[in-house]
Order: sequence, then structure tokens, then C-alpha cells
Amino acid sequence: MIQLHNVSMSYQGDAPALNDITLKIPKGDFVFLTGQSGAGKSTLLKLIYAELSPTRGQVLIDGQNLTRLSRSQIPLLRRNIGVVFQDYKLLPNRTVLENVAITLEVLGWGKRDIGRKVFHMLKQLGIEDKVNATPLKLSGGQQQRVALARALVNDPKILIADEPTGNLDDENKEQILEIFKEANIRGTTVVVATHDRRVITNSHRRVIRLEKGRVIEDGGAAPEHAAIGEDGYEQ
Amino acid sequence: MSNKAKHAVRPKLEQEGFFGRFSYFSSRALANLRQNTFVSVVTVGTIALALLIASLFLLVYVNLDHMAQGWSDKVQVTVYFDKEPAPLAVTALKGRIMNIPGASKVVFVSQQEAEKRLRARLKGQESLLEGVTADVLPASMEISLDRSNRDTAQVASFVSALKKIDGIGEVQYGEEWVKRFNSFMNLFRLMGMLLGSFLAVTVLFIVSNTIKLTIYARKDELEVLGLVGATRFFIKAPFLIEGILQGALGAVLSVVALLVCYYTFLKNAGNFLGVNPASAGLSFLPPAHLAGILLGGVLLGFIGSATSLRRFVNV
Repeated sequence: MIQLHNVSMSYQGDAPALNDITLKIPKGDFVFLTGQSGAGKSTLLKLIYAELSPTRGQVLIDGQNLTRLSRSQIPLLRRNIGVVFQDYKLLPNRTVLENVAITLEVLGWGKRDIGRKVFHMLKQLGIEDKVNATPLKLSGGQQQRVALARALVNDPKILIADEPTGNLDDENKEQILEIFKEANIRGTTVVVATHDRRVITNSHRRVIRLEKGRVIEDGGAAPEHAAIGEDGYEQ
Repeated sequence: MSNKAKHAVRPKLEQEGFFGRFSYFSSRALANLRQNTFVSVVTVGTIALALLIASLFLLVYVNLDHMAQGWSDKVQVTVYFDKEPAPLAVTALKGRIMNIPGASKVVFVSQQEAEKRLRARLKGQESLLEGVTADVLPASMEISLDRSNRDTAQVASFVSALKKIDGIGEVQYGEEWVKRFNSFMNLFRLMGMLLGSFLAVTVLFIVSNTIKLTIYARKDELEVLGLVGATRFFIKAPFLIEGILQGALGAVLSVVALLVCYYTFLKNAGNFLGVNPASAGLSFLPPAHLAGILLGGVLLGFIGSATSLRRFVNV
């Protein structure tokens, strides 16, 4: 369970990125976080994986108050959270196998187990033939899958994705969303930040809409009649 | 598979225990060196060049110091006698002189011996010595001092102790020369230390900044490791081992380059410069200094990496 109580977050000298946010995301939920650029989506995600600390309020994951975590406890928290970054954050000089293996190496897994598990994961995502390729030789969709494999390979309790479909074509978007759904079915809580309304409307999941750092809507899938531009993105 | 069961299945950990972790970190460090070839070559090259400059300085300094030590052998105290003492008296005097702290060798030069030396020195100009007999030349005792007892004050106190012995006549020891020689040695050592420290600071600065840049180039890797839940130690350990390996490799390369420089240019530089005609040329650094260079390389790599990592690891 992810809980935010009266959370505010300001970057130094700027207007608050998040303003008095209170919300609960139960275990096993699948939530879309939406809103225009600068609404505070990425900031909220960063609070969940303890990249940032709120200037006010409390963030709790499974009852654990993140604002009271010591520096040495943060790695243990992050081992239960898989994160897919907007820019993927793949290491260009390491192979796909090595990029995904990082998550398991950190946990202390043995080489053989890592190889087996990573290959299985890549196979599920349909990129097992790229196991020895380096990320720069892959297409955007393939890189996205590698990032997803790295986030999911240790079966995290929570999966966080920041604009995971931003650079993908429709076919790839569908497939990536399908992977999120499968992870969710296996019990992982999924939080996806996106401003791609088409993705949200097709999914029929809970949508939390942010505007200027506040929650302005929290409910079912966005209605079809929401203002969507030609490109499918929120206006 | 249920979620609960799935989370429960965890393979046996391989990194448990000191050796398990160490072997993982070492293999990671080696893989990093391989995967970041350019950056590694730059770092190793910088360390090697920096240490080469420092060790060239050390080589020259050690040789000059050694040479100067050789000159100090000329610090000698000579006692002249008005009348040549009897052999028994010579033995007794020798014993008493050797009892003065600082004396290392006493040689008695009889009048005969003095004449022989003079003739040898004036070879080819014997005519100058016509009419000169051994009686004209005084007998003497040449006293050498320990290396640790050759500074101006020590020589002076030795001479005053010497003068207290009965039967000792005129004492000469080139007071001015000893003074000048010792002030030269002090200046030489001070300059050496100043230049050495300046060089050490420069080496430290260049190497630590190079390492900082190479770690900065890989800050994404540090960030990703932190985001997937690696502890600070887990992130840093391979980088530190990498730093040690790069430092050691740089030091070995600098010693190899020094050897090449030595055999190509420096070995006979003594003759060329005419500074030390007694020996064939400069000698190579002793093993203790070479071990020091290796240790210096390792420390440079380790400390350079450790200080840079402090800035870039935020976990």
C-alpha cells in the first residue's frame, strides 16, 4: 500500500511542485497518474522511490514512513520497487543481459541464476535475441522493454513508470501496457505517469489527475470526451 | 503461481561471505576496465606519466644525494706532529682517538710515507724535490669521521675532544670547507624537499582530477545502481578496486618507462655531465624506492576514486 498524507514538495526557490496531496494506492492496484507537463507527476513518483523527500507531510509504503528512513535503509526499500524511467537510463556500454542483471546482482544472486532469470524475462518481453546487444543498437521500443525487464526481473511489489509510452508507436504502446497488466495480475502494484490520454482511456483503470501540484480528479478511466488533441495527447 | 509463492522463491546468494563478495566486486571491476577502455587507458596513462615525472625526480635526487655523501668523505681531520712519535706511542694515540665518538678510521702517515706521497704526486717534476728529505715533512694522523658526524658543529666538537689528548700537535680540518659543504648540503636537501613536495601536490592534483572526470563520465552507472537498490558499499567497492588496479598498473608502467629512460639516457649521464667522474654514471633507484612508487600508485588510485565517489554517490 502506498499512502501520501498532506504531502507538499518544493524545489529550492520554485513554486511548490506538489501541494498538500493525500492519496492511497492499495496493494495490487493499477493507477494512472496524469496531468500536463509540470503538474507534478514525476515529483510524486520520485517521492515513492525515495529519490526525493517531501518538504511537508508523510509518504508511507507498506506502513513504512519514508521520511523517517535512514540513508542505509533506502536501498532496501528500492529493492521492492521497479522503476521505468522516461529516458530508460540504460548503461550504453553494457549488454542487455548486464543491464537487466544489475537488479539481481544487487540482491546478491549467483551468476547462473541471474542468467536464467534474465533470459526468461527477456523472452517474456520478446527481446531474448538481443541478450548480447548493447542498448544503442536497439530501437526505442526495444530499449523500453530492456528498461522494463530491469524493473520487473526481481518481481517487485511496486512498479513505477514515468511516461513509458512517450516515444513509442501505437503497436509498441499496446504491447508495453500489456506487460504492465500482466505484472499487475501477478500481484504487483503499478503506478504509471502519462499524459497520453489514449493509453488511459483504453485501459479502464483508476486515474489520478494532477494540476499545478494538486489532485483535481481521482477515479475511473478518463471519459472519452476529454479534450484530446490530434496527436492523442491531452491539451 | 501465486504472488506470495513467487516472492518466496529466491535462489541461493552467491555474494555471501567476504570471499564471495570480494570475487564479485573484483570481477565487476575487471569488467568495468574492459568496458570503459578509453577512460581506463586515460586514467592509467595519467597515473603512469605523473609517477614517471615524480620518479625521474627521485632518481636524480637520490643520485645527487649519494654523490654529495661521497664528497663528505673528504671531511677529514689531520693531526701533525713536530717529531715523529715512536710506534708504541702511535698505537696508544690511535686507540685514544678511536675512543672519541664519531671517529671511524685513523691512519698514521710517517715522515717516510709523507715523502713517498709527495714524490708520487710530483711525478715527472722530481727536480723540485732535490734536497728534500723525509725529515722536512711532518708525520701526521689522518682521521676519518662517521657519516653521521660530519656536520660543522660535530666536527668542531670532535676536534676540541681531540686536542685534549696528550701528544696531539697541530690539528687541521679545513673548517671553512666543512662549513661551506654542510650549508650546501642543507640547501640541496631543502630544495629537494620543496621541489619534491611541489611535484607530489601536482601529481595528486592531476591524478585526482582525472579520476574525478572519469567517474563523472560514469555517473549514470552510479545513479542506476542506486536506483535499483544497491548499497553505498556495493556501488563503491568495484570502483575502488578499479582505482587500485589502475594505480598499480600506472605505477608498473611508470617504473618500466623509468627503466627505459635510465638505460637509454641516464645510465651514462654522469660521464656526460662530468659531475661524478668516479662512477660510471647514475645508478638506478633502490628496491625500497621502487616499492614506494608502486605503493604510491595504488594509494593514488584508491584515494582518487574514494574522494570522487563521495561526490557522486548520493545513496
